[in-house]
Amino acid sequence: MTARAKTAAPLPVDLPYRIVWKSRALRQGAHRSVQSGAGGMFRDLATLIEYNDPRRIDLRQSLRDPFETLYVRRFEEKSQIGVAMLLDVSGSMGFHGAARKMALAAELAQVFATAVRRAGDTFALYAADDTVREGLSVLPTRSRAGEADMVAALRAFVPARRGAAGLIDAARRVGRKRNLVLVVSDFLLPEDQLEALFEVLSGHDVVPIRIADSRESAALPSWGLVELADLETGRRRLVAMRPALRAEWQRRYEARRSFFRRLAARYGREPFEITDAIAWDRLGAHLAAGA
Amino acid sequence: MTDFALTTPSVLLLLPLALLPLVVSAQRPQSYPSIDDLEIDPLSVALDWALRIAGAIAIAALILGIGGLHRLGRTIEKTGEGAHMVLLIDRSSSMDNTFAGRAPEGGEESKSAAARRLLKDFILRRDHDLLGVAAFSTSPMHVLPMTDHKGAVVAAIDAMDRSGLAFTNVGRGLALALDMQEADTSPAARVILLVSDGAAVIDRKVQETLRAAFARRPINLYWLFLRTEGTPGISTVPGPGEEDTPQAMPERHLDKFFKSLGTSYRAFEAENPEAVAEAIAEISKLERSPITYHERIPHDDLKARCFAVALAALLVLLAARLAEVRLVPATEET
Repeated sequence: MTARAKTAAPLPVDLPYRIVWKSRALRQGAHRSVQSGAGGMFRDLATLIEYNDPRRIDLRQSLRDPFETLYVRRFEEKSQIGVAMLLDVSGSMGFHGAARKMALAAELAQVFATAVRRAGDTFALYAADDTVREGLSVLPTRSRAGEADMVAALRAFVPARRGAAGLIDAARRVGRKRNLVLVVSDFLLPEDQLEALFEVLSGHDVVPIRIADSRESAALPSWGLVELADLETGRRRLVAMRPALRAEWQRRYEARRSFFRRLAARYGREPFEITDAIAWDRLGAHLAAGA
Repeated sequence: MTDFALTTPSVLLLLPLALLPLVVSAQRPQSYPSIDDLEIDPLSVALDWALRIAGAIAIAALILGIGGLHRLGRTIEKTGEGAHMVLLIDRSSSMDNTFAGRAPEGGEESKSAAARRLLKDFILRRDHDLLGVAAFSTSPMHVLPMTDHKGAVVAAIDAMDRSGLAFTNVGRGLALALDMQEADTSPAARVILLVSDGAAVIDRKVQETLRAAFARRPINLYWLFLRTEGTPGISTVPGPGEEDTPQAMPERHLDKFFKSLGTSYRAFEAENPEAVAEAIAEISKLERSPITYHERIPHDDLKARCFAVALAALLVLLAARLAEVRLVPATEET
């Protein structure tokens, strides 16, 4: 773990997450589901004929019934859900300001993979720049076998390609069943692509996680010459930074951010924003809130 | 202006390097997630181009400096007023006396000193003359060939300060002056200014040579005769009973000889410095014919200027480099 020597807080072993919807999965898990079963919260009563489980006959209700029908208690079965992480690995994620965006993304993937495995859910990772990067992606799994490899591959990956249009393709791969989808990106996509992405994901529970860096906006220098090289296009531009220009840049940056927040709010959960370092307890609270 | 030249023209092969800064920026690039949607800032663009051009100028100037850029020396033909003039100066020892005929003492000025002073003034006032200097006493001395270097002529005249020699041999002096004129083929007006304080007999054979030489081409001859008080002048007519021979009255006979040459000739008889000044002013007034002269523009080394330009451009680049800020401090980079 030499790569994250600078980040003071150790990675959490568990990250609670909660959903407000009900899983349709048959497999048992830790989340509320539409399945009825033995454990969990009481849901309703059904006749023994409807639900053929004499072990759970509700005597009180059966006796009260003038028609002497036998009632059985039905409980909510806890089911698993699918958790998918859509990871933007386009060039702009290669930014190294106060922190490495890719390193933060790798940490997120690592912690989520562990947490999801412990909760008994399936974890999938889809990494994409302009196309889906099969080498980095992990198909839905409950196994921990590939976890270390996945994290190592993410840490070593140097984003270079331009555009994150592949995220939309990746989003289609998540499947039709409602999943918890974590979209990890800097969300510097063109507005129409961003909208299309949220549109494709509209059937899922989407948690946008935006990775930002203070050095790209808030901590810009007030004065001086900066030769910027666009991480995606490679284009260069000399900028004579001065307070007026800096304010203008920050205004644009904020405008972009607020557009993203509005869009995210329309399609799903409020985004979680990471600037420079991951506040794990805040992320945990954010996920546990479930909405 | 095609007179620029390089000492080492092969460095021009490197000149395309000057285009490099236009393509590649000198600043260190810093990654930034996305600049595409950031508006183009006109000041930054202007500064960018200014720095690129400064880089190109620096490289070009350095290459030209290394190649030894210079402007060739050349001569321009111009037209002015003046003449090609040979100053033929008498160096006989009597020139070191005053006009009163004795050795100068106190504030007195010798004839040669007065002549020198006034001739120098004269030369410096005549801008476009081509001047040669010859001296004579016993034998003629070729002092300075025809030149337009006023400094050299003045120095040559100053050099006449040495004490004079014994005799006055006008004939051979004139022959030398004519030779000097002969070497010059331009159509300018020719002048021989003879400055002497006495005359001598010219050999019959030399007379013939001179006559032939003067006949070949028109030459204006001026004789500035610095007459010592009480000695016979040019126009002194021998009294009755006195001998009218060149040996007895050399001035009168030299004058007669000059007049007989058929060339434009004037004699000025001066018995004091003021008269000398007047005579010289008169000559200056007479010699105003148009003359084509060549102005030399010296070889001009532009190397230092190239390096100065390069230095200035590099200082601009250095300032830009020092003004560079980093988004991520260098200490945090891995």
